[in-house]
Amino acid sequence: MRLPVNIVVAGGGTGGTLTANLLAKHLASEISDKEVNVFLVSGARQHVFQPGYLEVAFKGKDPSKITRNEKDLVGRRVQFVQEDAERIDLKERIVKLESGKNLSFDYLVIATGSVPNPEAIPGLKEGSLNFHTSGAESRKVWDALQQFEQGHLVVGIAGVPHKCPPSPDEAAFLVDDYLRARKVREKVKLTFVTPYPRPYPAEPMSKVVEPRFEERGIEVVTFFNVESVEPTKREVYSLEGETVHYDLLIMVPPHRGADVVIKSDIGDRDGWVPTDKNTMRVDGFETVYAIGDATNIPVSKTGVTAHLEAVVAVHNIVSSVHGTSERYKYNGRINCPFEMGSRKAAFVVGSYEMPVKQIQPTRMRYAMKKAFGRFYWRTLSGRWDWLLGLYFGETYKVEKTKAIPANAKEGVAQSVAGVLGALLGYSPTLQPRAFVSKRLQKNHELHGRNFDIRGSF
Amino acid sequence: MTTLEPAKPTVVVDSRGTMCPGPITDLFRAYRNANIGDTIELLATDPAAKSDVQAWTRRSGNELLAIIDEKDHVRIQVRILRKGR
Repeated sequence: MRLPVNIVVAGGGTGGTLTANLLAKHLASEISDKEVNVFLVSGARQHVFQPGYLEVAFKGKDPSKITRNEKDLVGRRVQFVQEDAERIDLKERIVKLESGKNLSFDYLVIATGSVPNPEAIPGLKEGSLNFHTSGAESRKVWDALQQFEQGHLVVGIAGVPHKCPPSPDEAAFLVDDYLRARKVREKVKLTFVTPYPRPYPAEPMSKVVEPRFEERGIEVVTFFNVESVEPTKREVYSLEGETVHYDLLIMVPPHRGADVVIKSDIGDRDGWVPTDKNTMRVDGFETVYAIGDATNIPVSKTGVTAHLEAVVAVHNIVSSVHGTSERYKYNGRINCPFEMGSRKAAFVVGSYEMPVKQIQPTRMRYAMKKAFGRFYWRTLSGRWDWLLGLYFGETYKVEKTKAIPANAKEGVAQSVAGVLGALLGYSPTLQPRAFVSKRLQKNHELHGRNFDIRGSF
Repeated sequence: MTTLEPAKPTVVVDSRGTMCPGPITDLFRAYRNANIGDTIELLATDPAAKSDVQAWTRRSGNELLAIIDEKDHVRIQVRILRKGR
């Protein structure tokens, strides 16, 4: 009996949930035939639409409105393992679960995300509020804003990297909107602090933001890398030696990689997984991929990039399982919605080859941002990728590579299949799944591994 | 600014292939972990890296030691003279 191929997805955020569902969609017949298992490993019972934190913090939205049960988002062909990964052993191809059980894998997708880390900066957790750690913390921002009548309100970036690059600027715009609506804006000094040289890190979009901050009277302090916060004095200090006094401090904390990545020693110093920025393959491991916030690749840590990277990783895995020669390469496309107050929004758009464009905020783009938010839950199923593909255009390239057979016999068999295919008019790339399965089986025999995880799980 | 004999860096930060704000972000991460007297060498291909680092050193009181144009990237050396209060 042929043993099944095990594909494990670690992490149930945007990228992980979509990856598992997409894999199950593309490998539906193999799953039905018990040739492939797709596991989603995630201890989170709730799935949060994290861009919604802005709405909770600055518009008073109920946090429950941006949350759904994770199990309701996972397709029926996916085996949902509702516990977190405790440790990942890439060499032994094992994910150790919190319960102590082991899940062995042939393919692994690391989608463990990032972790807001206010503890990294002394006094930050005690002295500031934030809208990146949870719905409850975001709600505290809203509660504080409602009480705020006058004084110095400071919004900004406490450290890099962080999720969703536009979110600190969006916060400043939305605070300004809110204070104007309450007619207390003239009694509040509003300051935006950032480690970057300009209000938005990418210059083309900064040129859009800067005049709007000026119009609204939002002061900007640049090159301010937060060193520490002194809650009793209500002061925030920078590594560059400056001090800013505040009455209310709303800061985006620096982020780090997930605990499981750090504990497993498979990331860099800050817990980001070294990943090929095109194939999404983890450096040094042919069948291990990383996507989304978890990687060290130089693009924004956002849900959209996690989604686009997931598509590439899935196609590469499916291509490998099917034994085709297609290899997918992500082009670094980013598409971050950017709300700029007064019900207007822009998008931050760029790629590895295309610098960020200058895009003006409009009501139409605001409507698009809202529509994306409502559409989010459906996108996780993977059934709407054709529609997203129409919107995003090219987000990856497909390259044909010469398939490398596991041994000469298989090489001859593939060549024969190719010739037969050409004569009969079908694509030989549709056929060699059997070769791949045998190859994987041979691999496992060579490594002496238990191929059927049901014995250990 | 170009020096003939670049300093030996304490840490090399390779930001080649990343676009703005990649290089300055990587420099800030290294700055956070650096000690006074350390030399950070930033390797970058993004053209904005030079002006961003120049502006940051002027503002922060750290020393821009050298900007060395290589064939396909630039090496920017910064000596950390000031960090924190």
